[in-house]
Amino acid sequence: MEKVSPSRYVHFEKDRCTACYDCVRICPTRALRFRDQAPRLRAGQCIGCGECIRVCSAGAVRAATCKPEHLDRDQISVALVSPVLYSQFPGVHPETVLQALRQMGFRHAVDMSYFLEMFQFATEDYIRRNRKKEESPWPIISPVCPVIVRLIAYKFPNLLANILPVVRPLTVMIREVVRLLNEKYDNPEQPFHLYYIVPCLTKMEPGGPFLKDSSYEVRALGFNDIFGDLRREICKVPWNAPLPDFFDYETTVSSLIWGSSGGETADLKIEDSLAVSGLKECMSYLEKIEMGLFREMEYIEFRTCTEGCVGGILTATDRYLAKRDIQQTILQGGIERRVTRSEFLRFYQEGRFAQKNSLSDMRRIFGVYEKALSLEKMAEIYRLLNHINGKNCAACGAPDCRTFAEDVVRGEACAEDCLELRAREKK
Amino acid sequence: MPDILFEKSFQINKKDFVHAGEASISAKNLLKSLQMDAGMIRRASICAYEGEMNVVMHGGEGHLALAIEKNRIILEISDNGPGIADTEMAMKKGFSTASDKFRELGFGAGMGLPNMKKNADEFELSSRLGEGTRVRMAFFTDAAV
Ligand SMILES: Nc1ncnc2c1ncn2[C@@H]1O[C@H](COP(=O)(O)OP(=O)(O)OP(=O)(O)O)[C@@H](O)[C@H]1O
Ligand SMILES: [Mg+2]
Repeated sequence: MEKVSPSRYVHFEKDRCTACYDCVRICPTRALRFRDQAPRLRAGQCIGCGECIRVCSAGAVRAATCKPEHLDRDQISVALVSPVLYSQFPGVHPETVLQALRQMGFRHAVDMSYFLEMFQFATEDYIRRNRKKEESPWPIISPVCPVIVRLIAYKFPNLLANILPVVRPLTVMIREVVRLLNEKYDNPEQPFHLYYIVPCLTKMEPGGPFLKDSSYEVRALGFNDIFGDLRREICKVPWNAPLPDFFDYETTVSSLIWGSSGGETADLKIEDSLAVSGLKECMSYLEKIEMGLFREMEYIEFRTCTEGCVGGILTATDRYLAKRDIQQTILQGGIERRVTRSEFLRFYQEGRFAQKNSLSDMRRIFGVYEKALSLEKMAEIYRLLNHINGKNCAACGAPDCRTFAEDVVRGEACAEDCLELRAREKK
Repeated sequence: MPDILFEKSFQINKKDFVHAGEASISAKNLLKSLQMDAGMIRRASICAYEGEMNVVMHGGEGHLALAIEKNRIILEISDNGPGIADTEMAMKKGFSTASDKFRELGFGAGMGLPNMKKNADEFELSSRLGEGTRVRMAFFTDAAV
């Protein structure tokens, strides 16, 4: 029988469900089946893309949420802030947003863009050093969007080798923040609570491999979880607010660009790159890369959400308005990097970008494994499909006839669930 | 003759650029769900795609047929288009009759057929003017080599 367990990304409210099957049909990993009046999720197969939430007009699919719990003064809670957050408050300086988070009760609010710039240096470095080598699989694929990494592990495992083997910016950030916190607070009894503030269902990896080298729990907090409170606090930030934080990563408005599709590659100093956004487009490009296309391309930025992270499912501001504001800001101020090459090299030499996950680790962490189909089973699937002569009606509860046939052959569904087959049987 | 364990054919529509590549993607996904040798799938996918694009661009109505044997797969891409006048010439790197319109789209480097030959373990091109073209390729799993 199929395994049904709760997902860490989404949950379904049976009472609101109108049985339209839209979520079942849209799921890119075919993780949903409609059974007993409700969508059932094969949680291990869910990559957290949020398409089911977007498509459900009844509001029956919800993002798993989290509430900040450690905001009172005697706790050390740290907000790790994705620069996409600034795009939610056009015209407000990033420093003001960080200050408002501190007013909300976070002891520290740390901007991530410093680490994104570090990561950019590491990307350029990797590409320059490997450009001439034949064995590197081209194009290199950005590891920044975790949904894409999961999608690749699940549907395109052969392309795992194309993913840039550099630690993701969040991981580098967590390591550095924890190191600095330990330096500042020398009371080992006092736990730190790290909250990563994100625009999408999750930027967390299942099992959190970055936790390997720290004992601190990092939780993801959606923009929508804090938007109202944060907006109120922003209004209260005095114009001459002191900056009480010892994390002195001065924040510039140009970090806003990271929220838009193309933000990662815009200032990347390599020869050729592309930026692709939107789940459908990303899948079609990944298919093409598998067919041997784009081998001349050095780097491809993929973002699951259309227009990039400003289109994240948990954002509060319209993605196109946010995009316009970002473009206006960047046009006025240009893009500047704060991190210098020598700073980067120091980090690099200390091994802070060292990728600890091998390809097989990645497979284990991100991948979902279905047993291979034998040739006999494959032949059976096509035999069944010929009988069904299907119109992908989904009445059986599977998203399409091909998936249904595979379910039957794998012993996870009964042929009688198909209206077409049942009608034939009667004749 | 080794036994064919599984066969499947996919249609390729003449001049249908919107759906060009779909037959190869279907064939590739079929091989993937059988979890056959990854390197072999990669090589076969590249060849299937080049072959399919040739049918769409230069050929006529066509088919991509996939046959799976114990340790190898056979791809046969055929069409009923205009055929090739000089197959030896067509195999030369850089030879192409693609129109300017296709060149603007990034095709017509004259590398398709040579690339297929390079990636396949066996390669055979046959064509008759006015009748059509057929490319037959075999790929061995690493285990079989
Ligand atoms: N199926 C076909 N029908 C008719 N002519 C063909 C067919 N396949 C190839 N050709 C001829 O052979 C030539 C060389 O093919 P090849 O695939 O090597 O290059 P191309 O298709 O022109 O360019 P590229 O594949 O690099 O985009 C073509 O230009 C065309 O004249
Ligand atoms: Mg060609």
